[in-house]
Amino acid sequence: MTQHPFSRRKMLRGLGVTMALPWMESLAVWGDTPTSGSRPDSQAPIRLAVLFAGNGFHQGQWWAKGRGSDMELGAVLAPLSEFRRKLLLVNGLFNAEALKGNIHSSQTGNLLSGAPLASGGEIRSGTSFDQVIAAQYGQTTKVPSLVLGCERSNPGIHKNYSMLYSSHISWSSPTAPTPLELYPALAFDRLFKDEAQRGDRSVLDAVLEEAARFRGQVSRHDQRKLDEYLNSVREVEQRIERAGQREELQGWRPTLDKPNMSRPPDGIPQNIADHMRLMCDVLVLAFQTDTTRVCTLKLNNDHSYLQFPNLNVEVGHHELSHSDRGKMSPDWLKVNQFFVEQCAYMARKLDAIQEGERTALDNSVVMLCSSMMSGIHDATKLPVALLGGGGGQLETGRVLDYGGQPNRKMCSLYLSLLDKYGIRLKQFGDSNERLAEI
Amino acid sequence: MHWRWISATLSIREAARSLFPPPRRTLCFVAVSLWAGVHVAPEALLAELPREQFALLDSEYRQQIRPMMQRFCLNCHSSASPAGDLDLERFVALEEVRRDTKAWVKVAEMLRNGEMPPEGMEQPTPEQRNQLRGWVERYLHAEALANAGDPGAVGLRRLNNAEYTYTIRDLTGVTLNPAREFPIDSAAGEGFTNASNALAMSPALFKKYLDAAKGIAQHAVLLPEGFRFSPHATRRDWTDDCVAQIRAFYEQFVPSVETPQGRGGALPLEAYFAAALAERQSLSTGRTNLAAVARKQGLNSKYFNLLWAALVSGKSSILLDDLRSRWRTARPGDAPALAAEVAAWQKGLWVYNPVGLIGKKGSRPQWLEPVSPVGASHELRFNFPPLQKGELAKEVVVSLVAARLDDGKEPRAIVWQRPRLAAEGRPDVILRDIAAPADVAPAKFGWRPDGRQIDSASLWMSAPSVSVFRLPAELAAGRELVATALLDDADAEGSVQVEIAEGVAKARPELQPNAVSVALSKINIGADVRIVTHLRPILAGDRSAAKKQLETAMEDHRRLFPPGVCYTKIVPADETLTLNLLYREDHHLTRLMLDATQQTRLDELWKQLLYVSQDALRTVDVLESLLETTIKHPQEGVFDSAVAPIQKRAATFRQELLASEPRHLDGLVAFAERAYRRPLAVEEKSELRGLYGRLRKQELTHDDAFRLTLARVFTAAPFLYRLETAPTGPFAAEVAPLELASRLSYFLWSSQPDEMLRKSAESGRLARGNEPARMRLKNGSTSVSHPNVTELQRHTRRMLKDPRVRRLAVEFGCQWLHIQDFDSGETKSEKLFPEFAGLRGEMFEEAVRFLTDLFERDGSLLSLLDAGHTFVNGHLAKFYGLEVPGVPEWRRVEGIQQYGRGGILGFSATLARQSGASRTSPILRGNWISEVLLGEKLPRPPKNVPQLADEVPEGLTERQLIERHRSDAACAKCHDRIDPLGFALEGFDAIGRRRERDAAGLPIDSRTTLPDGSVVEGLAGLRTYLREKRCDAFIRQFCRKLFGYALGRELQLSDEPLLAEMQQRLRRNNYRVSTAVEAIVLSPQFRKIRKSE
Repeated sequence: MTQHPFSRRKMLRGLGVTMALPWMESLAVWGDTPTSGSRPDSQAPIRLAVLFAGNGFHQGQWWAKGRGSDMELGAVLAPLSEFRRKLLLVNGLFNAEALKGNIHSSQTGNLLSGAPLASGGEIRSGTSFDQVIAAQYGQTTKVPSLVLGCERSNPGIHKNYSMLYSSHISWSSPTAPTPLELYPALAFDRLFKDEAQRGDRSVLDAVLEEAARFRGQVSRHDQRKLDEYLNSVREVEQRIERAGQREELQGWRPTLDKPNMSRPPDGIPQNIADHMRLMCDVLVLAFQTDTTRVCTLKLNNDHSYLQFPNLNVEVGHHELSHSDRGKMSPDWLKVNQFFVEQCAYMARKLDAIQEGERTALDNSVVMLCSSMMSGIHDATKLPVALLGGGGGQLETGRVLDYGGQPNRKMCSLYLSLLDKYGIRLKQFGDSNERLAEI
Repeated sequence: MHWRWISATLSIREAARSLFPPPRRTLCFVAVSLWAGVHVAPEALLAELPREQFALLDSEYRQQIRPMMQRFCLNCHSSASPAGDLDLERFVALEEVRRDTKAWVKVAEMLRNGEMPPEGMEQPTPEQRNQLRGWVERYLHAEALANAGDPGAVGLRRLNNAEYTYTIRDLTGVTLNPAREFPIDSAAGEGFTNASNALAMSPALFKKYLDAAKGIAQHAVLLPEGFRFSPHATRRDWTDDCVAQIRAFYEQFVPSVETPQGRGGALPLEAYFAAALAERQSLSTGRTNLAAVARKQGLNSKYFNLLWAALVSGKSSILLDDLRSRWRTARPGDAPALAAEVAAWQKGLWVYNPVGLIGKKGSRPQWLEPVSPVGASHELRFNFPPLQKGELAKEVVVSLVAARLDDGKEPRAIVWQRPRLAAEGRPDVILRDIAAPADVAPAKFGWRPDGRQIDSASLWMSAPSVSVFRLPAELAAGRELVATALLDDADAEGSVQVEIAEGVAKARPELQPNAVSVALSKINIGADVRIVTHLRPILAGDRSAAKKQLETAMEDHRRLFPPGVCYTKIVPADETLTLNLLYREDHHLTRLMLDATQQTRLDELWKQLLYVSQDALRTVDVLESLLETTIKHPQEGVFDSAVAPIQKRAATFRQELLASEPRHLDGLVAFAERAYRRPLAVEEKSELRGLYGRLRKQELTHDDAFRLTLARVFTAAPFLYRLETAPTGPFAAEVAPLELASRLSYFLWSSQPDEMLRKSAESGRLARGNEPARMRLKNGSTSVSHPNVTELQRHTRRMLKDPRVRRLAVEFGCQWLHIQDFDSGETKSEKLFPEFAGLRGEMFEEAVRFLTDLFERDGSLLSLLDAGHTFVNGHLAKFYGLEVPGVPEWRRVEGIQQYGRGGILGFSATLARQSGASRTSPILRGNWISEVLLGEKLPRPPKNVPQLADEVPEGLTERQLIERHRSDAACAKCHDRIDPLGFALEGFDAIGRRRERDAAGLPIDSRTTLPDGSVVEGLAGLRTYLREKRCDAFIRQFCRKLFGYALGRELQLSDEPLLAEMQQRLRRNNYRVSTAVEAIVLSPQFRKIRKSE
């Protein structure tokens, strides 16, 4: 090969390799070309953190009443009481597609996209709204988005739906669930380890070129599969390119340029509480150093088998969730609160970071959600709690209830939230209207 | 999809017992006859039969079915607002129906389950329902046949984590776990992690592949002729690996351990003598031969030949003659004595030298050096022990011995020059002055017998004779008796063996074994002065016949019996400072024991060691530090002579390194072909070399550039994906032979094809003649005739017997049984089951071993249900309450049904997996049996699970608590079907341990009434029920899952005929698992490919 590597890269671009981003494809039909970044350069960027807890919450204890600091909270939400003024509880939303399967696996994989889920051995959902943000807004940071998890995915099929759906809420494309990082140390590396090593780019060029050649030889269906590969290689290559020009793209100097915590130990922490805490720490650090602005943290799977010896609870999470019969079950409440506490812990850390006049929490949208209200697969009204002001764009200290209203789609909420990130779409998932109050 | 291909009476009975009315009998027989026909000439049938049938189905649809649907279905399933996304209105005629078969599979399922029309809506009469159902099923049947064998749309498959890991393992030959921190694979298709849909790629994952690839490349060890992989990633470890390899090579021949009897590398002579003695008679008479004996006794044939030849040789040689005469009269138990005799002489003919500083000025040339006790004169030394404190002084007795060898040469006399007692720092005491002359006759100080004078302090002796001296103990203590013995007549032809011995000694006429001792005096760095002393040297004139004869005899001994044949330490540690980091001395081994191939191999190993360790370069560094150390040191300059050779060796090695670089690249290209599982195109080869070249231009070293190029192979699409070339036209075509090989190996081994399979594919044999000849039997069915077993089948059978089939057990078997990752991922309440964490690995292993064994032995699928055996180790046996004596190792045990186990129902792994963290779940277990083992499709739970009464009455068993579920009609619909199956297994707790009482302490009730009215009790009852009444469903489900796993996709309607055929064949072949595997492997689905669109 005699050509200069750079010209070969150009050639690949010419081949349309970079154009074939499947997740971009679907975006293109939705609406206007989004403006890049909605905030003036001198201000802190707004971040998005989605925290997911599987198997729902105690249905009788997920509630709030009143406004601001006078807000009353149900027992499950009690750990958030210090943030009442920064809390926006959104009740009554649902995903129409999630009602079709009526089992864990069929109502989680589309929580953040509202897309129909393919059954019968197929895997297809929709690009989730966090990844829509990552694909555009996230391009200015070193890492477009961080997708973390604290419970291993479950390989298997349940009631004709892949259990992949129960463990993946974040989707880079309709056929590509974003892989979850379970190892705190590797999540940390992803943010801070120097990506580029001499020769890497030549290697990436070579495999790109090779795969691009095969692309012409396989069927169209397989081309899409191969495009996943090509785009992944490209993305890694771009990350190397971007590494040198961070600040120039970011337009904002974060309050911290180097990690202020040491790299977490290798491996997965034995204790689930430690695991979640570490992941929250990494997430906060990612925001604080502006290494990424979009992060999705799956605290556990839907259909989770987590156990809680740390809470002296001897029953597994899924089993426990099925014991919720609307009557106070002390163990179930304890476990619920444990999850909400993780959210509070993260919010507390973000709120302690001063970024100009606001805190990092004020500059973020933290969304705590589950794919069902209660353990009996009831997805007619989903639990959604928003924390943080979205850079002054969210009016918090409120409780909204969309129950019974015609426009109560999760996707309407996502349309509203996408606006905050400067991504204005006409339609997302099954909705073409926003929630006016958000 | 759950269409039964009813073709046997058993199935009909089974269908009749199921919850739903059976299909019409006529339909069943249509199926049978249709099916039998398909074997004979499928193509002809496809063309003819369906056309007529579809015409009939079309008219039926228009006239009867569509109107019925109009009335019962289309109100909800309209095009305008299709309930459940199912629009049935669009199916105007059969043409539309055929365009969306999947919708009709769903319709069939709903009708079969009685779910539609839903309660509260107008219901068809039973006749109408039957008519509708009958039509749908007949249509689906026709459709299945029309497309039978369709390979289906199988998307591009990435290697899943397991396949990636196994492939890397098989490619590199070492156990690495590069995917340890990869995201967990998801399942799709029939529920397996090898389905295309589940194998997405993403930037984060690709980054992991890239990092893993670089990590794997760090394990490549560059060799003179190519490279290999090591479990390690540092040069130091690779060097150790090479050393270990050579040691292992040596150990095939000699023990490497240093024993009190000798150093490493000693010939195990006892074994050789024992074999020679044991077979003396049969070898002498020719009843057996040396090669056979050597083979039988595990001895080296070459050496055994040499030894035997020496033992039976008629050629005289003093030392060996002695041995021969002993051997001739020796009895079988005398091997140790013979070996001892050899060993005794070895001590007198050899010295071991330190090797760490060989090359230094004045160092000895080698590790094992021959020495000769024969000479015209010898200085002898005899040490008197120091007097112990308080010991009474008395006499010590010492003999000066001059033994005459019985070799007919004479006369002989010797002179002991100035025998004296010597000690450092003290004056010598002349022996003459303290010894009584009377004692020494016929010897004499100062005089020869003929009156000629000699030195007055020297002693003349004739040989043979002994002079005995009695010395005052206080004088002798702590001193040495030193004397030089020499022949009185230097030109004498004869020889005399001399010795200074304690006590009153005798002069023996036979040659006595000598022994050498070496004294080294050291100044910091190595041996400087070496004093060699012989215990019984032999005096012979330099030009005498005696000397010549003796030397020859000793050399004969040395050639046959070196005390060590190789320096097994390899890494010297015999000096405080070392010049030689590695040391090779194995010419005796080569000469005595190795054949040409072995010699080549050994040379190759050494070449690799020297190359890998970069010994030549490291020695330069070592030398430099030694030179520095010896500046202004008494030893200054002793290494000067080593400088030039060492530098020259280093320069040569650098050349060698450079010269080997292209060979590494050649090796890499060849390796890439294995990694890509196909030959590389010319451009692909030059592309790999091109990348290497570019990297070198970026100033990467050869090593780094090589490793990155290697990493590139591990991140390439043709490695990570199973790329297959789809035909250009719309029709299915055979996959290329190498692609077929990969399909087979990834099915059975979750990894790349091995060499045999690859070669078979490359030669074209694998793909040739894949249609086995079929014999038409009288009853209309067909069978595969055995003389026509295809190459594909032969490989399938071979691979099923290979240990790698364990991966099929893990990847297919454990996923099918839903116990994947049980060993690492299953957790139970530590408080209630503290023992579980320590047992889960063994529980999993039991299942894996059982399934592996099933494949390896080609066992019966029925044994999955009713096996009388399983596999346990001591730990698990105890947990199961099995009485297995002793032995903690894994083993097969029989008769386990009496312990309440047997088959997959009794695995603790399956019982525990389908339980909660703290208690059992008959619901999970029942659902597992129903869905996983029997393939039943249960409706999903109702939308609004009704609330049960909150108040739980006291004293209910766990089972009774669950039974409350069924008090609600909506719940009972499913729970009536699944819970009773689970109740039968209530005799096992949440970690699969047998129990009599539940967690609340209430007695277990495992008697239960199943949906079809059968009453069963416990695991045994359930097993009998499944075996006798649900056998077909179980086998069908197994086949379906295995087929789906093999294809990497969900089964589709057109697979139904083959599923039915598999079941038929299994019934005929005693349910041998290979029957199912072969049916799949030979199917067009497995062998063909079509465009995915």
